[in-house]
Amino acid sequence: MNWDFIQEYLPLYESAALLTVKIGVAGIALSIVIGFLCAVVLFFKIPVLRQAVSVYIEISRNTPLLIQLFFIYYALPKIGIKINPEVCGMVGLAFLGGSYMAEAFRSGLEAIEPIQMESALSLGMEKSQALRYVVLPQAVSISVPAFVANIIFLLKETSVFSAISLMDLMFTAKDLIGQYYKTTESLFLLVVFYLIILLPVSLLGSFIERRLRYAGFGS
Amino acid sequence: MRNLKRVIGILLALSLVFALAACSSQSAGTTGGNGSANETSTNAAYRTLDEIKEDGTINIGVFSDKNPFGYVDENGEYQGYDVYFANRIGEDLGVKVNFVSTEAANRIEYLQTGKVDLILANFTVTPERAEEVDFALPYMNVALGVVSPDSRIITSLDELTADDQVIVISGTTAETYLTENNPEIKLQKYDTYANAKNALENGNAAAWANDNTEVIAYALQNPGYTVGIPTLGSNDTIAPAVTKGNDTLLDWLNDEIVALGAENFFHTDYEETLVDTYGAEYEDSLVVEGGVTE
Repeated sequence: MNWDFIQEYLPLYESAALLTVKIGVAGIALSIVIGFLCAVVLFFKIPVLRQAVSVYIEISRNTPLLIQLFFIYYALPKIGIKINPEVCGMVGLAFLGGSYMAEAFRSGLEAIEPIQMESALSLGMEKSQALRYVVLPQAVSISVPAFVANIIFLLKETSVFSAISLMDLMFTAKDLIGQYYKTTESLFLLVVFYLIILLPVSLLGSFIERRLRYAGFGS
Repeated sequence: MRNLKRVIGILLALSLVFALAACSSQSAGTTGGNGSANETSTNAAYRTLDEIKEDGTINIGVFSDKNPFGYVDENGEYQGYDVYFANRIGEDLGVKVNFVSTEAANRIEYLQTGKVDLILANFTVTPERAEEVDFALPYMNVALGVVSPDSRIITSLDELTADDQVIVISGTTAETYLTENNPEIKLQKYDTYANAKNALENGNAAAWANDNTEVIAYALQNPGYTVGIPTLGSNDTIAPAVTKGNDTLLDWLNDEIVALGAENFFHTDYEETLVDTYGAEYEDSLVVEGGVTE
């Protein structure tokens, strides 16, 4: 292990980690919004939109992120839509994550017995009130584990960004190996930095999971 | 209890990382010093000439997307200047050639980990690379070049403004040269030739810097692009590379290259694979015959 090398190229990894986190956070935030909207559409069985959402979810879940990024970054410019790599990374991540988040929300919503919705309605609540005060609190609490798993999954997916010239952690490591042939050092830093990013997320996730458990009905 | 489990989990994960660190610093220590050349020779996984012959197959790393040097044609066959040479090596060794597609950045790794016996992926000889792998005699000349769209032809690196980016391929000599000599130029890095070319066509950058052979070929094949800087940096050569310490294969290769010189093999190779792209005018400046450079 050549510590001088590690010291010299540490700043490169730091900026790569920042880029990874930046795109990851933006992409995940967007995917949560998309996922929530899709889940609500599916839950209320809104016509037309429901079919559109199903098509989107199937496309998004059954194609690799790499292909989606290729399409956005290399194919769209051919028809005149040019997006810079960072935005492309965020959009790609949101496109992939949206469907996973939608499924996580949906599983939470479906886990709530319909009788609860019916009871709430019979007590005179509006549909939106029933959703807000009865269904959602339980549904969110149930979907949190799937949710946290998705977030970690999406952060790890950022490692394919090298294909669109984004200097994320993975590409930085590959690039240094290609330039200076310090494989061990480069990969060591790569593992350390991914752990620095992902360990807190996973710890925070399990903390939140425990704190929200109380909301479940009958437990 | 649950907390304890989690703490143990984290400790295990961390210790794994440091075990990795400890292992590799140990192997560097035993070979004396942090020279990676020593380190690789202790754990190199290469096959000797006899082992390759016995196995009946040689694994050769080539490009799959670098037309006309190493690429896959419409029938799924490997073609190109490097591949032509690779096939001849297989023939003369009396073994089957198994082509392994490589990217520029992982050529050295592939040799060091024994994934291939030999790299014939347009590998430019540099002193830094020679510390990690063993190069045989050269078979081609090369320098760097820069290609840009006709709408704005870059004829000197000084013409690049602060907003301009230059495409390079990760792990190539162009990347190293620009990183060291022109650190102010913003590089846009890609991992494959196919992606880099696509990005240039999409207008993502002002120019593309690479081996001049490659950019000349690109400009000839794609109207609308011109090589504004035909030579940049020093004149280098391209040679086959084997895993550090694989002397039996290296010696055989050197003998082979000298022997092929007698029959003007690389001129034939040029005429078979490169003449359509470059025409006859580049033949003598590109080809190195018998490993002898001027």
